[in-house]
Amino acid sequence: MATDTDSETVTPDVAQFSTDTSSREEALLWVDDHLKWLMTIPAVLILFSLTFYPLLRALQFSTQSYLPTGTVFVGVENYVQLLSDGAFLNSLVVTAKFVGIAVGVEFILGFAMALVLNKKIKVRGLWQTLILIPMILSPTVIGLIWRLMYAPNGLLDFIAAPLTGGANVGWISETSVALYSVILTDIWQWTPLVVLVLFAGLQSVPDDISEAAVMDGASRRQRFMHITLPYLKSLIVLILIIRLVDALRVFAKVFILTRGGPSDATNVISMEMYRTAFRFNNFGEASAMAVSLLVLVLILAMSFVNIANVEFGS
Amino acid sequence: MTTKQDTSVDAMPYTEPSGLEKIHERLTETGLTKAGVYGALALFLVWTLFPVYWLVTATLKTRETLLSFPPQWIPLDAQFGNYARLFAERPEFVTFITNSVIVTVVTTIVATTIGAMAAYAFVTFDYPYNLDFHLPFYILSTRFMPPIVTIIPLFVIFRGFGLVNTLRGLILVYTMFNIPFAVWMMKGFFEEVPESLIESAMIDGHTHLGAFFKIVLPLVKPGLIASAIFTTIITWNELLFAVILAQSSQAITVPVGLASFVTKFSVQWINMSVAATIALAPVLLFAFMARQQLVRGFSMGAVGK
Repeated sequence: MATDTDSETVTPDVAQFSTDTSSREEALLWVDDHLKWLMTIPAVLILFSLTFYPLLRALQFSTQSYLPTGTVFVGVENYVQLLSDGAFLNSLVVTAKFVGIAVGVEFILGFAMALVLNKKIKVRGLWQTLILIPMILSPTVIGLIWRLMYAPNGLLDFIAAPLTGGANVGWISETSVALYSVILTDIWQWTPLVVLVLFAGLQSVPDDISEAAVMDGASRRQRFMHITLPYLKSLIVLILIIRLVDALRVFAKVFILTRGGPSDATNVISMEMYRTAFRFNNFGEASAMAVSLLVLVLILAMSFVNIANVEFGS
Repeated sequence: MTTKQDTSVDAMPYTEPSGLEKIHERLTETGLTKAGVYGALALFLVWTLFPVYWLVTATLKTRETLLSFPPQWIPLDAQFGNYARLFAERPEFVTFITNSVIVTVVTTIVATTIGAMAAYAFVTFDYPYNLDFHLPFYILSTRFMPPIVTIIPLFVIFRGFGLVNTLRGLILVYTMFNIPFAVWMMKGFFEEVPESLIESAMIDGHTHLGAFFKIVLPLVKPGLIASAIFTTIITWNELLFAVILAQSSQAITVPVGLASFVTKFSVQWINMSVAATIALAPVLLFAFMARQQLVRGFSMGAVGK
């Protein structure tokens, strides 16, 4: 509001100039008048046309069947098909295992390290900087790093030798082990983020409250349960949502490490979707998977926020 | 047991230290807690950094020493020739790097500019229907959508516009990808610029747009640099869209090129390690420059400033 009155006081001066100079002044004034829309339209337009519109098209595709002659409307047939599609159902189980174990371990290990870091420690800054490295690396590079570590006769086989008696574990080629190897890679990459976010939360717990509780004779455990945890609640919810949503869409690591194999043991949803769409050219069923995945993400994220009863973004 | 403790907290009477508490105190007295803390931190650091060390040192080994058993911990006979050999054997890798640089630079400039403008407008102006509150949340929510959900329609749409296998197509997608980060990163910075500054600049004869570019943007330079670096890292690293939207060599980026070293049947270990090391070097450099802002970016603005 205040800005409006200001521009009115400026306008007479500019109007005088605009009689002898070009239409450039007028153009600038027009831009200023419409600035609030001009500045937001590019962002809104790009996001609308490249996320919202494709989303509607995905809904449309999921009700169509792709034939060499063209598309045919088939209603919910693609969704019905999914329910009896063994590979898809298997990918749901694989994804659930991946997300559950990876996020669970990342959270517990990350929280523990955050508590350790919260003691009075020298070179804390350097430590924090160094553990940033895994999360900024490309998932492709990470996949390659761990391919190297998991290689037959590689480093991890050497480390595990006392347990295995020198036999190769087959970290990413053995059906019963491969998924856990992929999970370990995810834990390696994302535990540092949990540490840093929760550590920032621990730092924001006011010292005087803690000290008052000590005076009142509250034990270490009581202080943790009744002072630290409530303070961290919204950050805990946030980091769990971020990790949950990110883990649900894991693709690059699996693509590089195993391509979904051996015998579909690591075939997560996005890998199955990729194969259905771009190997078997079944866009209809792949879109139905995509829509199901989105619904799953929305339900998980929203119910999680509701359960925790946290105002998001605050 | 638990109920008893809950009530005791409300009233806060003096409670005897528990067994655990006593053990903890004894450990602190003897200095063992401190040793435990530093030990845990050191262990975590080794676990985090060693795999990267292993990749980088792999570039200096020979095929024989790379997977020798027991492993060669330090490359004794450093093979710097491995770097030259990658470009001799896979000359197309130069094209991949060029493509990645073009896509990353253009995306960074466009996404940061568009994101910063939108963020400033949301902070400064009043919109009808409370849009200045709702639109940023709509923008942020796109970040939660799994990218693979839209990739099939995007592929079909891009095929229609002839954008598949072009750098333009990738730039467009990555700009979309990065705008939410830029908006939320910049919003916090613009909120701290005092309104009076803009008003006085306009009284001095600047247009509002002029004041934005000449007065406001220089003030939020740390934010601009942070979002630019963040965008650079995300774009440089991205694999999924690149694999699907750029399959022919004129638009292949570094991550897709890296993936090509690994087939179902064999891995070109040395070339792969060299290429991966080249791919991670710029990221490490940029990340170090923006280390304060990175956690803020990854936690969508929830932590740190």
